[in-house]
Amino acid sequence: MKRFFEDTRNYFHYVIHSAKSELKAEVAGSYLNWIWWVLDPLCFMLIYAFIFGVVFDGKEKYFAAFIFIGLTCWNFFNKCIQSSVRMVKNNKAIIDKVYVPKFVLAYTRMGIDGFKMLISFGIIVGMLVFFRIPPTWNILYILPLLLLLIIITFAGMTILMHLGVFIEDMHNIVQILLRLLFYITGIFYSVVKRLPEPYGQYALKLNPIAFILNGMRDCLLYGRAPNVKLMLVWMVIGITVAAIGVRIIYKYENGYVKVI
Amino acid sequence: MQENAIEVKGLCVNYRCLKSFSVKKSFFKLRKTKVEIHEAVKNVTFNVPKGGIMGIVGKNGSGKSTLLRALAGIFSADSGTVNLHGNSISLLAIGVGFQKALSGRENIYLSGMLLGFSREEIDSKLAEIIAFAGLGKFINMPVKTYSSGMYSKLAFSITAILETDIILIDEVLSVGDAKFKKKSYAKMQELIFDNDRTVVIVSHSSETIRNLCNTVMWLHDGAIKMIGDANTVMDEYDKFMK
Repeated sequence: MKRFFEDTRNYFHYVIHSAKSELKAEVAGSYLNWIWWVLDPLCFMLIYAFIFGVVFDGKEKYFAAFIFIGLTCWNFFNKCIQSSVRMVKNNKAIIDKVYVPKFVLAYTRMGIDGFKMLISFGIIVGMLVFFRIPPTWNILYILPLLLLLIIITFAGMTILMHLGVFIEDMHNIVQILLRLLFYITGIFYSVVKRLPEPYGQYALKLNPIAFILNGMRDCLLYGRAPNVKLMLVWMVIGITVAAIGVRIIYKYENGYVKVI
Repeated sequence: MQENAIEVKGLCVNYRCLKSFSVKKSFFKLRKTKVEIHEAVKNVTFNVPKGGIMGIVGKNGSGKSTLLRALAGIFSADSGTVNLHGNSISLLAIGVGFQKALSGRENIYLSGMLLGFSREEIDSKLAEIIAFAGLGKFINMPVKTYSSGMYSKLAFSITAILETDIILIDEVLSVGDAKFKKKSYAKMQELIFDNDRTVVIVSHSSETIRNLCNTVMWLHDGAIKMIGDANTVMDEYDKFMK
């Protein structure tokens, strides 16, 4: 555990720098450059708002913002988890040559997508102003909710990263699971209102992502506080899983190179 | 001699059952999982004194690169120990963590940080690295526009100038054009005359080994066949290879 914190500190600068350069590399060739980071989520929001607001007749209050908050968090989780499966393989060039604690790769990924998430949150603030949504002190709850999202994501990444090295098919399995999760998480509908009781409550409480989304919407749009007790429970679960994941990685990481 | 920089005791590295498998395959083969073990390095014991230069020779597939990686901490040893006495170590490797769309300058930082140097340390060496690589205006161009020679020149310069206590070199002395080769060779010699630096070189060139190393280890099928004074071992080795 001590080693984990030490490594995190030692590689902190590398993570920042490599996330930065990855971001730069991503837009280096394109005409619109960093504008894509704003344009990309906005366009998707418009698509979903049209499909589910107009075609499927969604009736949530502040529907555009409702979807956008969902998409923002989901994108972060989705991209991190998806890339984690092949993370070790894709970074073969690095881990072949130097020793790095493998979860550092996960940090870099989270840095990249975290940055994009922050941009999206900037847009969300813009939307709050645009829709004249009255802010309340409950807005401060997004900080612990964000932390929870990061912990849960990291926990998932460490475990999947390890499995992804040894199990070739993991990528396909994760794809399917993520797709399922995407629909039951309620990015563009409210799980509580749309699913019949008691399933709505189950879907909300047993799925951390749905819980986070719901909490974010509650505190940002509707001025309600999220369920603090449940938040703490998920926090503890997330930290435990992450600790297990890091332990596993430490134990097996030197074998990774031999496999890939 | 004096204190040792590297102590290796009974090192074994196996490649084995940790093969990646597909779920489908493992359903069918659940019962007859054969564990295949390939011993890449078998029970190797040696010391390198501080400031010493050791060469490793052997035919292809005799475990030289595996041994280097085990020293660098990239592989875990299956048994035996590697004791580096707290020295920093780097594997002189081509293009660690390069981002191809970014400029050479950015990649120096990226690569250097990956090797465990701080931003300030790289800042102070930056000019030297750029001068040594001799890429001219290309240093500010994306790495993907580089020719393969330029690419390796940059990579070599980064690791050669950002000095660690122990340097492991795997067949990279033949990098770049004739001029750069000379320069890198001179740099190697400079590193070698530095009494604090310990170097382990893997090479197929018997001339390089004779010129640079004090001791040579000859690996054959993962085990040490001979170890000792450079010229004696190399004489035997050359005879063997003929």
